[in-house]
Amino acid sequence: MSRVNDSNNFLSIGKSLPRKEDRRLLTGQGRYLDDIQVAGELHACFVRSPYQHALILAIDTEAAEAAPEVVAVVTGKDLAEWTTTHRMAPPIDGLLPIEMTALPADKVRFHGDPVACIVATDRYLAEDASELVEVDYEPLDPVCDMFKAMEDGAPLIEKDMGTNLISHQTFETGNILHVMESAGRVVESTFSTPRQTPLPIETRGCIAEWDEGTQHLTVHVGNQAPHPYRSALAGRLKLKETQVTVIVPDVGGGFGQKIALYREELTIAALARHLKRPVRWREDRMENLLAASHAREDFVRTRAAVDANGRITGLTLELVEDFGAYCFFPANYLARVVAVILTGPYDIGEYAFDVKVVLTNKCGNGPMRAPMAITSWVMEGTIDNIARELGLDPVQVRRLNMVADDAYPHVMATGETMEDINPGAALERGLEAIGYADFRRRQEADREHGIYRGLGICSVVESTTYGSKFYKAAGIPGSGHECAWVKVDPSGTIRASAGVMATGQGYETSFSQAVAEGLGVNPQDVDIKLGNTDIAPYGMGSRGARGGTAGGGTLYLAATGVREKALAIAAKLLGLNTAYQLTMRDGRVCRLIDDDIQETDLTLADIARTAYLDPTRLPDGMEPGLEVTRAYDPPPMTYSNSCHFCEVVVDVPTGAVEISRYVVVENCGNVLNPQIVEGQQLGAIVMGLSGSLFEQVVYDESGYNQTGLLADYLVATASDMPNIEILSVATPNRRTPIGLKGMAEGGVMGSIGAISNAVSDALSPFGAVVENHPISPSRLRLMLREKT
Amino acid sequence: MKPAPFTYHDAQSLEEALALLAEHGDEAKLIAGGQSLVAMMNLRLAQPGHLIDINGIAGLDGIERDGESLLIGALACHADIAGSDLVREACPILADAAGHIGQYAIRQRGTIGGSLSHADPAAEWPLMAILMDAKIEIAQPSGDRRTVEGADFIQSIYTTDLGPDEVLTRVRFPCVERDEGWAFKSFARRRGDYFIVAVGATLALDGAGRVSRLRLALGGMEVTAIRLVEIEQEAIGNTPDGDWIEHIAAAARGAGEPADDQHADAEYRRELACVLVTDALAEALNRSGRG
Ligand SMILES: Cc1cc2nc3c(=O)[nH]c(=O)nc-3n(C[C@H](O)[C@H](O)[C@H](O)COP(=O)(O)OP(=O)(O)OC[C@H]3O[C@@H](n4cnc5c(N)ncnc54)[C@H](O)[C@@H]3O)c2cc1C
Repeated sequence: MSRVNDSNNFLSIGKSLPRKEDRRLLTGQGRYLDDIQVAGELHACFVRSPYQHALILAIDTEAAEAAPEVVAVVTGKDLAEWTTTHRMAPPIDGLLPIEMTALPADKVRFHGDPVACIVATDRYLAEDASELVEVDYEPLDPVCDMFKAMEDGAPLIEKDMGTNLISHQTFETGNILHVMESAGRVVESTFSTPRQTPLPIETRGCIAEWDEGTQHLTVHVGNQAPHPYRSALAGRLKLKETQVTVIVPDVGGGFGQKIALYREELTIAALARHLKRPVRWREDRMENLLAASHAREDFVRTRAAVDANGRITGLTLELVEDFGAYCFFPANYLARVVAVILTGPYDIGEYAFDVKVVLTNKCGNGPMRAPMAITSWVMEGTIDNIARELGLDPVQVRRLNMVADDAYPHVMATGETMEDINPGAALERGLEAIGYADFRRRQEADREHGIYRGLGICSVVESTTYGSKFYKAAGIPGSGHECAWVKVDPSGTIRASAGVMATGQGYETSFSQAVAEGLGVNPQDVDIKLGNTDIAPYGMGSRGARGGTAGGGTLYLAATGVREKALAIAAKLLGLNTAYQLTMRDGRVCRLIDDDIQETDLTLADIARTAYLDPTRLPDGMEPGLEVTRAYDPPPMTYSNSCHFCEVVVDVPTGAVEISRYVVVENCGNVLNPQIVEGQQLGAIVMGLSGSLFEQVVYDESGYNQTGLLADYLVATASDMPNIEILSVATPNRRTPIGLKGMAEGGVMGSIGAISNAVSDALSPFGAVVENHPISPSRLRLMLREKT
Repeated sequence: MKPAPFTYHDAQSLEEALALLAEHGDEAKLIAGGQSLVAMMNLRLAQPGHLIDINGIAGLDGIERDGESLLIGALACHADIAGSDLVREACPILADAAGHIGQYAIRQRGTIGGSLSHADPAAEWPLMAILMDAKIEIAQPSGDRRTVEGADFIQSIYTTDLGPDEVLTRVRFPCVERDEGWAFKSFARRRGDYFIVAVGATLALDGAGRVSRLRLALGGMEVTAIRLVEIEQEAIGNTPDGDWIEHIAAAARGAGEPADDQHADAEYRRELACVLVTDALAEALNRSGRG
């Protein structure tokens, strides 16, 4: 594959073609859920619990049912008849099984838990009626702190589980205990990120249509993984999978919040079938903030054994994550990735981790772009602490501990193999761009004038793609392969599809480039059809930065299959014995004669016409038609790397943080479309900065969510964000088609670490270190007050 | 997030609005820019049975000068005030403060009358009304007008002197004097957010360069903006220099009884008050023509 992987040979990929989808999206012609009208549709809204933990004694729906234009009011009891219970019990060591019903019938577990659903002819009237539903609650003691939740006698979220500690996993290398005990010095660091929420601009929502004639359910829903979603939906409604079609229209962002089948969507689908009428639900912003999957909220402690030069001889990690009350995903899965890849680019042979995941009376957690987001901050913050404690230059400590670029593949202490990355080159390239020595001089000089500058460096090794061997090893159900087809129609037009689904990433453009490259046509001539489970092949969906490598890679392979067949036909039509010297360029068959490329009269359209309409002219034994379906299972993991440099000025009197420069050096392999990749890099960095500086879901002590409005849950706006300079030191992955790697999450990891380390660096004269997010002005002032 | 049912009335005159208010009493609410009220209605925190739209009332959005006063109609929106040459000349601090309210779209719709009537503790207009001794003009059901001092109008958080059957029609601000310095300083988490703490100051000096009048008000330290009257009076006759500013900023630090919330604890608000007063006085001094 080395010839193919040389990006100089690419004709279609690696070009910043304008996004095909933008014509419709930017001219207001996109079709999002709310643009879809279904005749006779009803509107639903949910009644939600004002309590964080309470028994449901009774629900009186009579008055609501009698309200104008109300068609139905249902509760957990009704849903229990129409749906199955979801049991999350993958065979994973240290993880306890847990069950979830469509709507809770026994008790509510967080503020915002849905308890009843109202269906009316109009959303306004549904909400009017929702005020008439009377729920008799018996409040229980809530537990809203993950450490308290682990204490004996703490209120239990799941009584039958007997504990709130739903997952506890540990790992250690043979000699770690000895290394830690005999270390000359152990540097301890702590980190924690608060609860956050993915906050897509378009909230959750769906339209469910039941066709009584064909006994078929069609669900329109914004979702990143339509086929697994269909399987879950059919299973829980006790339907055959052939009775369900999932159609994903244009989606206004997902960030991990649109993967699982949520209880509200299941309820709407069940109601559509029960009422035999289309039902629509659009989550409002408050529901999204209170009750759509949350993310993060973890506490981490590292202990690093170091020698006097700052060489790390052993490292231990303790991690506790607050998973909330419900598990839409295996509870161990997000935290475990942090523990497995923590050491990143550093050569740390002795390592141990202890990872606990705890249930509390909060909204359930799910993945959010970079579920392992805290990893790089933890590792790089640990290194900065080592440097500070030993009085060393943080760059020197990094250089000393890094795996040399030419020593990859490198097997981490946890057994993961990292390959085709160059953290050393990324670090050095960035240091040069930022002017490291000069920065330190400026920093020193400005302090004299009360200007506190800081530089934060954060190396990231991003685990991406997640092939099925990764899932198997982690014990997580599901697969990491992807499936795609490419079809050339009799008229010569080209369509292609895969199981992944975009939520704004521009797949229609980048995938058309992958297909065009494999087939030898112009990307403009490739139509990508995604998001309809009756059309797309069964695939695993978009998550874990797998869209490019798994989706694009599989499409490329399918397209090369079509090209091979087309060229075999061409050879026959041209009277040649073999297709050896034939190739396809821009939809035309060409002959390679000595290093020269000569066009023939034959086009892909001619070949397609023959394949479909004149099959007697095909080579002996060849099937008519011109289409190929391929499945592809990528490596267990592909790794990208990057190094982030964030320069800040902290205004010490007010605690305000200004980002004065941001540089990132990226290695994300060969890229399908650099402009789209740049969009992902910027978006990811901004997401991490926003989280670090602003975002926090706040539950008060009794478990009441105080951030149900965007006035309270703060997220960065464009004017809060810096200009971001992107540099590249790309090297291809040797094991994927076209040398692709995933890349959409590392920016989150890197910016979290870079901004935190920068502020700590700025405040180092005060001895203050950032250990919590958000890095709010009042929190910084509190820290500085305590230090002075 | 959908409002409860209501009847909409499109009032075409002040008399009509007053009559509708008289008819529907507590059931009714006026709507101006809707930038605060509609959010409250969507959350069902406000459930007026009758919504009386006053945007169609002609002449309620004027901005004019009347001798040493600036008259701003209740329906003037933040953007018009921020961009008004008249305001910039007669009382520039008002234009500056208006430009700090929310974001572009909010400033196009939100009105000075709505903001004062809503009385958010972190809003710019109540702070300006208290700082500048604004006179709030109110139309009563009888058709009579009454006038209230800014500090008496803003009573507490979301609470004003306005009766449920009254309409705020106009606000009268004094023009600043020639060579009177001024400054508005605020601190918010993000650009366009409601401030955590804000300061308004005007500073006039006599011929000898001593303070002849200081106005100083702080927002974010209490449920309403507060005027630092004692500090203002003590300042008269002082020579404004760096030490003087430091002295006043230190005094401002102790003003009011700030509370803790998610974005700021009380001590942090005091620190901000000190920093912002320092900046505001330095800037006002600069602008006073003597700085
Ligand atoms: C995203 C966002 C950000 C914002 N940021 C800020 C900010 O930083 N600073 C700030 O100060 N404000 C901010 N606001 C609020 C904005 O300034 C509002 O416009 C203002 O508070 C209310 O003015 P309105 O004309 O929209 O009034 P409305 O919302 O229409 O009415 C508010 C209240 O005043 C009453 N009312 C309105 N007009 C009259 C009248 N003439 N007589 C008697 N009663 C009347 C109404 O009945 C209602 O009770 C923000 C708003 C939003 C949505």
